[in-house]
Amino acid sequence: MSRITVPIGPQHPLLKEPLSFLVSLEGEKVMDSTLRLGYVHRGIEKLAEQRTYIQNVYLIERICGICSHIHSTTYCQSVEALLKLEVPKRGLYIRMLLCELERIHSHLLWLGVLAKNIGLNTLFMYAWRDREIVLNIMEEISGGRVSHAVNIIGGVRVDLNDKHLSLLQEGLRELTIRVEEILRAIESDRSFRARTRKIGYLSLEDIKRYCVVGPVARASGLDIDIRRDAPYAAYNELSFEVPLMTEGDVWARSILRILETIQAIRLCTQIIHNLPDGPVSVSAPRKVPSGEVVSRAEAPRGEVFYYLRSDGSQKPARLKVRTPTLTTLITLPGQLKNMQLADVSAVIAGVDLCIACGDR
Amino acid sequence: MDNMNLLGLLFRIFIFPGFFFLLIAALFLHWLDRKLIARFQGRIGPPWYQPLADLVKLFAKEDILPSGTNLFFAALLPLISFASVLTASFYLPIAIQSAPSFQGDFIVLMFLLSLPSLMYFLAGWVTQGVYSVIGGNRSLLQYFSYEVLFLLAMSGTAIASGSWSLADIRLAQIKESPYIFPQIVGFLFSLAGLIGKLKREPYDIPKAKSEVIAGALTEFSGKKLALWYLTIQLQTVVGLSFLIHCFFSGFWQMSTFSGFIVFLLLLVILQGMLSAISAIYARLRIDQLVYLNWYIFIPLTLLHNVYILLK
Repeated sequence: MSRITVPIGPQHPLLKEPLSFLVSLEGEKVMDSTLRLGYVHRGIEKLAEQRTYIQNVYLIERICGICSHIHSTTYCQSVEALLKLEVPKRGLYIRMLLCELERIHSHLLWLGVLAKNIGLNTLFMYAWRDREIVLNIMEEISGGRVSHAVNIIGGVRVDLNDKHLSLLQEGLRELTIRVEEILRAIESDRSFRARTRKIGYLSLEDIKRYCVVGPVARASGLDIDIRRDAPYAAYNELSFEVPLMTEGDVWARSILRILETIQAIRLCTQIIHNLPDGPVSVSAPRKVPSGEVVSRAEAPRGEVFYYLRSDGSQKPARLKVRTPTLTTLITLPGQLKNMQLADVSAVIAGVDLCIACGDR
Repeated sequence: MDNMNLLGLLFRIFIFPGFFFLLIAALFLHWLDRKLIARFQGRIGPPWYQPLADLVKLFAKEDILPSGTNLFFAALLPLISFASVLTASFYLPIAIQSAPSFQGDFIVLMFLLSLPSLMYFLAGWVTQGVYSVIGGNRSLLQYFSYEVLFLLAMSGTAIASGSWSLADIRLAQIKESPYIFPQIVGFLFSLAGLIGKLKREPYDIPKAKSEVIAGALTEFSGKKLALWYLTIQLQTVVGLSFLIHCFFSGFWQMSTFSGFIVFLLLLVILQGMLSAISAIYARLRIDQLVYLNWYIFIPLTLLHNVYILLK
């Protein structure tokens, strides 16, 4: 049987960001696929070496359009560690609040994309409608819907007032109802199950071999979460569960992400109830003493890793960013093999790629 | 033929229930569809003139096809499908008008309504794009499952009336009762077949956006694309009218105003059902669709037909 090669990307309705797949088909069956990256490479790591530490906060936030806050958080953490700065508790709590709001926003966005890709437009519309609640809250707090520019070295730029808190409480209550409704719908919907069960399977060994992190790893039974295993900010003061599933397919990833969203909503509620008083930031010197540091954080897609080396000047000597998307991408050609063309869209959506993070 | 008759005939062909009425009904149903789905999904939806505006805009757009395409066939295929749907409408007593009926027009109608799907498949081959070819192939694969289902489910009415003539099917319903009550199963399966014919969700596999862009129509643009869209919209009206005629036409006497109102109401209700189904289900995979049709729907329809035969 003759093979046809179908290009998926760099421009394709399935992908929201540029990425190129060449899928070779026999009939409807995927025989082979090749992956090409680098369409959104901006050389951010090199650019960071030419800017001061303070300018870099702005730059680092532009790595990703979905999880911008987690990147600047991790970066600020690493600089603060080199400076040996003690960030005020209130500042840390506001950082965590934004992180968790971002997780909710990212997971709902992802759910919409998956639903769209399997042709369930109604779920797509519902998920993105509910995501607006989070976006509005974040806009009210920081002034930006996706790029918040909240972090500064030594704390955060914004403080929460009573208006924000009441808005948060109201929004989170509404969101809990909506997300639990979505969870019920997904668990019971047969057509959703038919399109997501038993596809894109990754075993626990595969996960470990490819060093996959985040919800994809947790959906295959690997129990890792930086928030719990190596707490940063003030996560050790909060109580939360890390959902875990063992099925390892797209369906498990969907359910897991929604469970995580529910946990994130609970975390937000905890944060606003336990919000300490005091200042939100301390002033930081412009020059950073020489040394090197590693900083880690749990992004919506998994562990983000920053390595920072300073030579005592105003600019970093080296900044290395490792995002969770890259390892997930490597597993894709294996997941796609022997699969129907129709499932390709579900699998690619199911691992939740963030190409901008991966390419930088 | 005298003058009055000729005028009447022209009126029938171009105004009512011919092209003009069909066009209005098609645009209205298309708007209703989009509006309903939008409301189901928590959106506002388009204003009433949107389908017409889209059509006018598309007709005014530049018509580009990839080099190497056979321009003659690329122009012919949408025309044939458009013409076959229009021809089908003349055999069908749309909107309570009487139509010329003969023994076997049921089958002719079936054939005319299935032509656009074949043309769609050929369109995929003619335009040569990868997505077009896959979309065309998928439409043919799908064709062999839903078309059989549609024919079997609809022929229950022909079996019950003992005739392949549309007029007889209606007469039998007036004499006994509308077939919707004894043949509700057949009606539901016919609706499923029609959804496949119209390539609506969850049977929209040939034009699955996240897989094959727009399927066989990926490379079409301008006037030809407008004609394809118009064909599908007209097919919705004609297909639904076919269903209404076979299952509901016992509800009214020929050519009465109330009959016309009932017809329009039924059209709106059935369109509402199609929209609701579109909004509820995810797109099926081609193997799931074939399995569903050949292992579940078609055997059930066959049993249903046997039951009608024995009754």
